[in-house]
Amino acid sequence: MAVYKKTYRPYEGPLTASWSRFLVIRRYAFEDLRRSRFLTIFYLASFIYPLICALIIWVEHNASALKLLNLEQASRLIGVDAGFYMTLLGWQSMMALFLAAFIGPGLVSPDLTNNALSLYLSRPFSRTEYVVGKLAVLLTLLSLMTWVPGLLLYALQSYLEGWDWAAAHTRIASGTFLGAGIWILLIALLALALSAWVKWKPAAGALLFGIFFVASGFGGAINAVQDTKWGYLLNVSNLVGTVWVQLFEGDDPTNNGAVFFRQAPGSVIPVWLCWAALLVLCLACLYMLSRKIRGAEVVR
Amino acid sequence: MSNRLITFGEVSRFYGEVLGINRVNLAIPPGITSLVGPNGSGKTTLMNLMTGLIRPTRGDIRVLGVRPDEPEKLGPLIGYCAQFDNFPKGLTGYQFLYSFLRIRGMNDAECEERTRTALATVNLAEAAQRPVAAYSKGMRQRIKLAQAIAHDPQIVVLDEPLNGLDPMARAETIELFQEWGGKGRHVIVSSHILHEVDRISDQVILLSHGYVVAEGQIQGVRSEVKDQPMQILIRCDQPNALAARLFLQDHVVEAKIHPDGKGILLRTTDADQFYLMLNRIVLETGMEVESVAPADDDVNSVYQYLIGGEGGTT
Amino acid sequence: MDSVIELDGLEVRFGGRPILKKLKASLTGRSIGLLGPNGAGKSTLLNTLLGFYAPTGGSARVLGLDIRTQAREVRGLIGYMPENDAFIASMSGVRFVRMMAELAGLPREQALERAHEAFFYVGLGEVRYRPLGTYSLGMKQSAKLAQAIAHGPKLLFLDEPTNGLDPPARARMIQLIQEIRDRGDLRLIVSSHLLRDVEECCDQVLILKDGNIAAYCDLEQERRSNRRFLELETRGASNGCFLEALERLGCETAQGAQGRIKLILPEGLEIRRLYEAAAEQQIQIRRLNHKRDSLEDIFLKAMEAADGRV
Repeated sequence: MAVYKKTYRPYEGPLTASWSRFLVIRRYAFEDLRRSRFLTIFYLASFIYPLICALIIWVEHNASALKLLNLEQASRLIGVDAGFYMTLLGWQSMMALFLAAFIGPGLVSPDLTNNALSLYLSRPFSRTEYVVGKLAVLLTLLSLMTWVPGLLLYALQSYLEGWDWAAAHTRIASGTFLGAGIWILLIALLALALSAWVKWKPAAGALLFGIFFVASGFGGAINAVQDTKWGYLLNVSNLVGTVWVQLFEGDDPTNNGAVFFRQAPGSVIPVWLCWAALLVLCLACLYMLSRKIRGAEVVR
Repeated sequence: MSNRLITFGEVSRFYGEVLGINRVNLAIPPGITSLVGPNGSGKTTLMNLMTGLIRPTRGDIRVLGVRPDEPEKLGPLIGYCAQFDNFPKGLTGYQFLYSFLRIRGMNDAECEERTRTALATVNLAEAAQRPVAAYSKGMRQRIKLAQAIAHDPQIVVLDEPLNGLDPMARAETIELFQEWGGKGRHVIVSSHILHEVDRISDQVILLSHGYVVAEGQIQGVRSEVKDQPMQILIRCDQPNALAARLFLQDHVVEAKIHPDGKGILLRTTDADQFYLMLNRIVLETGMEVESVAPADDDVNSVYQYLIGGEGGTT
Repeated sequence: MDSVIELDGLEVRFGGRPILKKLKASLTGRSIGLLGPNGAGKSTLLNTLLGFYAPTGGSARVLGLDIRTQAREVRGLIGYMPENDAFIASMSGVRFVRMMAELAGLPREQALERAHEAFFYVGLGEVRYRPLGTYSLGMKQSAKLAQAIAHGPKLLFLDEPTNGLDPPARARMIQLIQEIRDRGDLRLIVSSHLLRDVEECCDQVLILKDGNIAAYCDLEQERRSNRRFLELETRGASNGCFLEALERLGCETAQGAQGRIKLILPEGLEIRRLYEAAAEQQIQIRRLNHKRDSLEDIFLKAMEAADGRV
């Protein structure tokens, strides 16, 4: 009879591709998130509005449906134009903020609380890959909520209206993609930076909201007290709104932004400044992350 | 006489339902006493009870005749160096010691002098002006020790005091304990490093799952474990010949040859007889003896017998 | 044996302050102990070899790979068991080790298999599905060892592996380390303050002081050359006559407390002669062994030599 003893054996087998290791982090984070029923439901609920929009688009192009609703005369019930898409983006982006506030705080702080980060970094795995991996979690989920439905609806409208419409309205597509992109990148970086610096998860989530609502209040106060317009630089929703207006409509805007993301009244802040401010905010987050994501603390 | 002892009379301490210690009876004389036991066996509970930080659920404790629920009387008698690594924020080493001494009610000049003495004793005089937060683990351990001894107490209670100290600091601190023990103070130390416990302790208290399973001097404790014959390990070149001779004796109850063929582990009920006999056997057989060691005359073996290998709460 | 680590003038500074000063050594040996007082630079050395700190001067090679240019490959070959706690409280043991193994490059299925194997090997088979936050201190230490070996490294860095462990757990950990050392295909660097642990687990010892190498020696050789030093523990009539008898035989003796005698055997004298003397005087030799604390001596000498005072 052969008796087998449990012993250590060295590993001589194949290794996974070096560049793909950051995806391991994303996969494990997804598994963890799937376990939360609340998050799953919330995520699914965030697709309700796009579905309603799809319905509206379909109804517009469907004669029998119009007859049913007694709207033959008002054939343009709701204008499917840049404003329509901007409104969609606005709603979805606010939902994205909520999601980031729920998911974000739990991404980095558990690794820091008990010093697991030194184990990550003692492997062939760099700080950049770690941050990219965590970002990938948020970026994937938030993209699926924001620009992916936007672009799908764009495609739907083009299909029903004709591809000429698409050619005339390419700015809608690019605006959706880039506008969503800048927003989700911003909140993803903020969520990670807060998660790295603030141990208590509810506090980190609250701070993420705080940056938008409290900072805007602060900006408004500055405007009032100093009788200036530069307080709007603190108001992230203004900054994003202005950027979106430029992306969607260029120099000839018909809208002044989307719901939750309005331009500053009177368009007082130049667009390039808004871009710059947002960029500075992103870089600040990256700096905050680089301070906390280290293998070993440098003492003294 | 009782004024020189720390006594526990049928003391129990529960945390809700969870057992800390149960029906403990002890009388601890001056000298170095080691508390030994797995994690969760009640060592920290015992120390907290001694220093008055917690009250027993039942039973009576007297520290040199003083009850621990009279902190005014007990405070000057006891110094405690706890296991945990937390310090008030923003203090330097010097300020840390000084402020705790002031709390004891001494005046400025005396506190200063005692602080300097304590710092010199633990070799932290140079680093005293740096914040405690910047200290390495070993330094933090030493400042804790300094805090425990600064007011020159009669009793020093130390929870794993050598944790994190490098070998020289360990040796120095052990010397310090021996000095105090020699002067007639009570030094109560808890430790996992059994060979150190062996070397320095006058008496030892073994705890397991909240009960005292043995206490007393080490040699004494071993001989109390009567149902186990003494184990002796002999490394030599002819273990078989030795075994053959040994089995002719009544007091040898077991002999086991070591797997490498160069040693023998035997058990005997009469160690004195055995050793005298060994002298003769070595001469008669011409054996080369490499080493002779009682395999269980130390804390490690007593630990094995009484507490066993499964350790404490897992 | 080929060298595990080669230090070539390795220098590390923090904000201008030199922590490691031009270290030069070639470490061979299956298991190398790293000793030194607090602040000597042990952790800094390990962290630099792992790539957490960048060297400000010189270089080093780990298993033949340069730590400056091939840092990533170096880390792929190393398993690290840090001194502090290192875990994710909400993850189960197996899941955590599996993720760590995958981050080291193992494919999913192999990572899962090896995570389970690692847990059984370190003796945590029963608790591997429980969250790491519920583990006791000893279990956390073993779990750290499990994550260090799961991806099959060639070199282990163990930083204070027996920290806080109670005696049975400590004995188990030492036994595990000895097993790993005896395998031969997995080399070890063990950093510890407990000389006894290092003596039991290591072939060679590197002693650092103030950022310099104070000593690097081979323990096996030291043990072999200490054959003539003996320690006895006796019981019997009075030791005085016994000591005289020993000295007549040519030994240098020193009496300790409680019947302990240290002596140096002259060349050519066999231990049997000691027994002769003991039999004559009805003395029991209760304990006889060759001097154990060679490492303690080496360490103290190294500390002395480095700056002229102990």
